[in-house]
Formats: sequence, structure tokens, C-alpha cells
Amino acid sequence: MFTNLTKLDLKDKKCMSDAGSPKLCMKALPGEGAERSCAYDGARVVLMPITDAAHLVHGPIACAGNSWDNRGARSSGSQLFRRGLTTDIMENDVIYGGETKLKDSILEIAANHDPKAIFVYATCVSSLIGDDVEKICQEAETELTIPVIAVNCPGFLGDKNIGNRIAGEVLYDRVIGTGSGPSEKIPLSINLIGEYNIAGDLWGVLPDLKNLGIKLQTAITGDAKFEDLRSAHRASLNVLICSKSLTNLVRKMEIRYGIPFMEGSFYGIHDTSETLIKIAKALGDPDLLERTLVYVGKKEEETRKVIAGYKALLENKQAVLFTGGVKTWSMVSTLAELGINILAGGTQNSTPEDFQRMKELMDPSAQIIEDTSSAGFLKIIAEKKPDLIVAGGKTKYLAHKTRTPFLDINHGRKLPYAGYEGMITFAETLTRTVLSPVWGHLRRKFPPKEGEQVD
Amino acid sequence: MTNPTNANKTRHYEGNPQKNSPALGATLAYLGINGLLALLHGSQGCSSFIRLQLSRHYKEPIPLNSTALLEDSVIFGGWEHLKKGIEVAADKYKPQIIGVMSTGLTETYGDDMVSALSSLRSERPDLKELPIVLSSTPDYMGSMQEGYQRTVEALLTTLAGPSSKTLEPSGSKFNSTFNDVSVPSIALLPGCHLTPGDVDELKEIVMEFGFSPITIPDLSISLDGHAELEAAPVVQGGTLLEDFQRLSKCKACLSFGLSMETSGEILKRTHEIPHHNFPSITGLAASDEFVLTLAKLSSKPIPEKLLRQRSRLLDTLADYHDQLGSLKTAIALEMDLLYSLASCLVEVGAEISVALAASRAGIHKLSLPIPIEVGDLETLEERGGRSRLIIANSNGRQAAGVLKLPHLRAGLPVFDWVGYPQKCWIGYSGTQQFLFDTLNSLS
Repeated sequence: MFTNLTKLDLKDKKCMSDAGSPKLCMKALPGEGAERSCAYDGARVVLMPITDAAHLVHGPIACAGNSWDNRGARSSGSQLFRRGLTTDIMENDVIYGGETKLKDSILEIAANHDPKAIFVYATCVSSLIGDDVEKICQEAETELTIPVIAVNCPGFLGDKNIGNRIAGEVLYDRVIGTGSGPSEKIPLSINLIGEYNIAGDLWGVLPDLKNLGIKLQTAITGDAKFEDLRSAHRASLNVLICSKSLTNLVRKMEIRYGIPFMEGSFYGIHDTSETLIKIAKALGDPDLLERTLVYVGKKEEETRKVIAGYKALLENKQAVLFTGGVKTWSMVSTLAELGINILAGGTQNSTPEDFQRMKELMDPSAQIIEDTSSAGFLKIIAEKKPDLIVAGGKTKYLAHKTRTPFLDINHGRKLPYAGYEGMITFAETLTRTVLSPVWGHLRRKFPPKEGEQVD
Repeated sequence: MTNPTNANKTRHYEGNPQKNSPALGATLAYLGINGLLALLHGSQGCSSFIRLQLSRHYKEPIPLNSTALLEDSVIFGGWEHLKKGIEVAADKYKPQIIGVMSTGLTETYGDDMVSALSSLRSERPDLKELPIVLSSTPDYMGSMQEGYQRTVEALLTTLAGPSSKTLEPSGSKFNSTFNDVSVPSIALLPGCHLTPGDVDELKEIVMEFGFSPITIPDLSISLDGHAELEAAPVVQGGTLLEDFQRLSKCKACLSFGLSMETSGEILKRTHEIPHHNFPSITGLAASDEFVLTLAKLSSKPIPEKLLRQRSRLLDTLADYHDQLGSLKTAIALEMDLLYSLASCLVEVGAEISVALAASRAGIHKLSLPIPIEVGDLETLEERGGRSRLIIANSNGRQAAGVLKLPHLRAGLPVFDWVGYPQKCWIGYSGTQQFLFDTLNSLS
């Protein structure tokens, strides 16, 4: 029942020799302190923003108990996805097997919570004791009127990227194209792939799409409804938002449904405009393209006017950039827009292509962070003494110990940074962080030496 | 159902779990030992989730390494990975001590950690002197409290044995204890229900009686959220390694929370010192017992400062007796904290409507006016309706939202109220603060 890794289209995952490039050979050294996550985590990140589905974790408490409802993905409707559901495998289940408990749980969840579908996640322990999650899901499905979908993602299969891919595979096999509605293409409609609506990012982009007359079929997956996902194949275009961990999904959708795909990003003015124009071009509607060119011109001007004040305050500040994976290169140009120089940059979970792109966008003098453990990251901070750090949430509290302004750009944040609106929020938040009076207090020596003034 | 104390008899799944994993409890215990590198024997997700969970609770970086197990170890076992992990961590980070905890993954296929360690020590004689603690914390047995308990036991059996060698003082700037030999020492074993703020107060009270405390583990100087951290992947602050050697000279051992009783018994047996367990030190009677024990041990009168605090608490009880008496509370917490807070409320006339423990530990030994059951936060949501207040960790917010009830945050994780790790709800003044917080959460 192990997920067949060769199925996952790992062709684009070659290891690079560049120092600091993401290690994609799926091997992390024990004891090294690499701090990456597991396949189960990767799968849940992609699938859990399906808001009207129940997500049942077939594992001991470590898998769901420590992690449920801990991401900032937001929903405009059902909150069912935020419920922590697990079979909570106990010692007796390890000995006697957990299949009966799993089936009972599925049926009870269907009765208690009225989900549109149930996703069942296999974990390390459930796989080791040989529970056939796939079979149980099929059995349960025959007794219910909703899909019960097995996700074979035991953590030991690899890191988060592998899990993302497994989730993509599940969506392709079991969700997309399974609805009973019509299946012809909807003109000027797109899917956003790899957009999780963290802090409401998606909602920052929707007005722009709407103003241009582009229909969002669904985000895969962010604020997603199960039924909308089922007809994701009706979209005319797939737009892969930064992260390439779902490349397998868009490739397969292109082959089966003839949906072309493109990459894009909604972080920063430049990338947002470029992505909107690319979408218009790809949708092949001359009228739309014309509209878009006018629209982005207007929006850019408006946005630049608003952020000019912030730019004046941030210009020539020196930053260290370190991301968990997605959006690294996009963040490089966003910071450049605000006149911020990048002293050093690094990334942990990105694909080699993302990494290359980040490298090309950064000033050649900028250093690549080679040791991506917390220790390595902190060493760079100590050496470079930047004015600010832009990084994922897990380095946040370490960064604070260096008494350096820090901005979280990952899933723990509370504010949306996508689109033109998001750029303004980003500039505003970054300015507030950099100019906060607290850093001065933190750096002031106390008690003062004799003769020194306390200021 | 085989478990008669389980509250969700009608369902087999856990809905909105209040439990944390035992390995998380183990991490917490290790985080109170200075210079320790915590190494989780499991997949990278196990450590990643623990780091995230503890970090959003404490707002602190959480140093936790892992053996990063993958598919091959599932086939061949993780024995070699564990050896390699200890070796790499020891060479790369040079910790004073390494603390290992197991997971559901490694316990299911049965990695023998003890033999892995002795094999490593014979291959690497230079690592022979490095103290390495092994704690068995399978995810499918118990909750945070059990993992913490087992790890404190492992720390004591490994480091506080009668035969263990005397260690040179490491000269750390985080000196947790006095070095004056004329001051009698006392060993304190705080359970995981106590916050760094609680442990701080605990030490203060003990010092009022002229004792020098040795606290194991000591979160009050490692996870108290201070700015003077260095960039290191090992624990900074906490119990010093040489403190373990001084345990034999302690006048007594005091353990807090029923889960710490066995740890206290280990010290009692090993060093032949008296041991007192305090299931709770929140509430008037519980604080009285604690203070009277200290007075007796020290042969000193109760300090004026504590009597003053007691008198303030009494006045508070009088002032708010009616509000407290009309309080009907639904509580879901890990056992030791559940008992501490619930018994304090019962003592002042409040009613407990629902009492849900995260796991079975201690459930038959501690009692409240209503039966304590094992339950999740979905059960709290189903049963808490006729209460006026919910006490649970931050994940109880969904239940509180559905029931439209005020929700006092307690336990772990508390991520949406600020300052919880610094809160103190023990002793006379801590009890007073707990009652204030309880009443204020109603308005």
C-alpha cells in the first residue's frame, strides 16, 4: 500500500551541485538539524484548505494532535476543515490493527459532521502495522453517499515536497473531473495552483481577476469547495503560483484535459502585473489583453503612489532573505521594488528552478546561505548584521534573539501580501517592523557605563 | 469500548484533540536542562510539528534535532540512523549532554536504543564520557504529561545515580543555584502543568524558607523568554549538569503533580532522602500543605511575606465568594493541571460541570465531585453547553465559539492569548491571580 514514488513524476527533481541549493535527493542526514518536515505534512498542507471536507488522520496523536488548526489558511464558508480529526492510534491498535476503528471513525464523522467528502491520511504507524487505508476507504464509501479518499502519505516517504506531490496525485485521480455536471471549458476561467489562501492572500487577488473579467474556477487548494474542485477541469488555464511542488498535477491535467499551464506569482507589483498579462495572453483573448495592459498600468501607478512613502523609509536597507520554499524569487523582486538590498538569500524547500531564479534575480554580490539549519542562518545574521530579516515563521523567535527586525512571510502570518493590495500591506508592515522603536531598546546596553548618558 | 472512563463512548475517532504527543512532553522536559541537545528518533515531521507547537506557545525558538528517518529505515530499522544521529549531533554541535526520545515510528518496529548507544560508544571511545539520556515515548501511549514524566525519570536514572561521576562545574552564566554549602539544598521536580512563571514562584517560596533549590527540569530559566540567548541549537539555561551530582546532598525532594511522584520516588530510593508529592499547589488548602511542609522541613516559622499573601487570598475569597459560588465550569486539560485548577475552584464553591482529562494517567487516583473522564474537545463542545465558562487550551476556541461561552486559556498550546508562559497560578498569590483571571474572563 506504499505510495509508488515512481508515479510521482520526479523527473524535474535532479540534485544540483550549487552550494546552498535545495537538497532534493530526499536524504537528510540524521542529527544534522536540517529541520524539514515530512510527506504527511506536505500532503495536508495541500489538501486541508478544502474547507467543506473532513480530514481524518489515521495515526497516533503526534501526527494530528500536534498540528491541527495550526495554519493560516482561511475560508469564506465552511470551517469543517479546521476540525482536528484523528483515529488516535493507541497501543492496542498497534497490536491488533486499526482498520475497524478507522472504518467506524469514517462512518461516524460522516454522520456527525456532514462533510462533502472525507480525506483519510495514512501515517508512519498506520502503514507499519499494515492497515489497508485504501481498502477501508472503499468499503466505507459503499456505505456512504460521499467520496472517501485515501491519501497514502506516511511521513517516512520523504520531505514536504513529496507530500505535496502525493496530494496532487490524489486530486488528479480522485477529485478533478469526477463531478456529474457539464465538462466543457468555461471561457476566461483559470485555476490557481498552489495558492492556499494563507491569511486571505487569495482574496487580495480576486478583485483584480474580477475587474478584468477572469473567472476563478478554483484555487488548488485555498478556500476551496469540494464541488468546485471536481470541475477544476473546466478551467481554460492553470496558473501555478510559485511553488512547483504541484507540477505533476498541472502536467497531467494538460495531457488529460488539454489545459495549458503557466507559472506566476502575485507577490509584488512587478510579478503581479506580469502574471496578469501572461494570463491574458495565455487565455488568447485580444480584448482581455488590451484591458489587462491598461488595468495593470493604472494599478501599478496607484500602488507605487501609495507605497512611495514607505519606499522612502526603506530605501537602501540591507536585508537577509530566507524562505521555507515557495515565493523566494518573487520576494527578491518585491524587496527590490521597495529599494531594499539583499545581502544574503537562502531557501530550504524550493525546487532547483526556483533556486536558480532567485540566484539570478539577486545582486551577484549577495551571498547564498549554504547551511540552511537554524545555526547556519544565524551565523549569516551575525556576519552580515542586516537591517531586517524576511523569513518563514519558524526562524522568527530565533531572529528576535539577534535583535533584528523580522518579517514573517510564511503560513503563520496574519496579513495577506498577495496582489496590489497585498503589496501595500507588505510595505506598510515591513516599515512598521523596521522602524519599530523596540529594536533600539533591545540594543541599548544596560546599565550604562559610568559617565554615559541614558537616552 | 474497553476503557470505562472514556467520555466518547459513542465514537471511535478523536475530534479536536486536546492531547499533545508524548514526544512533545519529552522535548519540554529536555528543554529544562542546560547545554542539552534534544534528538528525536523519528521522521522529520515529528520534530517539525513539535517545534511549531512549542514555539507558538512559548514564542521562543525550540532547539530539536531529529534522526530524519526515511523509507529505508522502515525496512532495515532505524538503529544505524540513531547511532549516526547521535554521532553527527555530537560532532557538529558539541553539546554537554544529548537527550534522545523515541516516536511511534521507531517503537513500532522496535529499535533498541540502549544497544545502539552501547554499540556507538564502543565504536567511538571519545564519546564515552558524553552523557546521553534515552527516553521511550511512543506516540500511541499517553499524552504530553506521560512523555514528560518518563523523560524526567530517564534524566534522573541516567544522571543522578549514586555511582555517577562528579562533574566539573561548567561555569555557565545561567547559574541556577547557590554555591554556598551552608545553605541546605532541596530538590524540586515540577510537572509539565507548571509554567516557567510557576516554577519561578516555586523557587522563590522555597528560598523564603532558606533552602537552595535544585530544580529538574528548570524551565523558569530556559523557556522564560529572555533576550540574552545565543544562536545555538542546544538548550540555554535550565538545570546545570553538575546539579544532578548535588542531589544526594539535598535535605528532601518535593515533586509537583501526581505524574512526578515516581520521579520523586527514584530520588528517595537512590539518595535516601525524604520525598513529598503535591498533586496540586493551586488553591488555599494545597498551598497550606506545601507551606506547612516547608516550615517543618526547615524548622522555621512561616515567613511574614507568605502569611501576608495568604491573608490577601482570604480577603479575595470573601470579596468574590458569590461570583465564585455561581460559577459552573467545564474543564478539559492534561490531568495534573485539570486537577489543580478544578480542585481550586471546587474549594471556593464553584461547580465543575464537565472534567475531561487528556489521557488516563492518574485518573483513578485523583478525584473531584464529578467523575473525571478521558475526552477530547469535541466532547467538551457536546457536553459543555450548560456551563458558564470553559477552561481549556487555545484549541478549545472552536468549542467556545459554538457554545458562545467565555474561554479561559490554560494548558498547552496557548497561542492566542499573550503571556501564558509567564503566568503564575501557584501558591497563595498565584491562586489569587488564577481566581482573578477566571472571574475576568467572564466579562
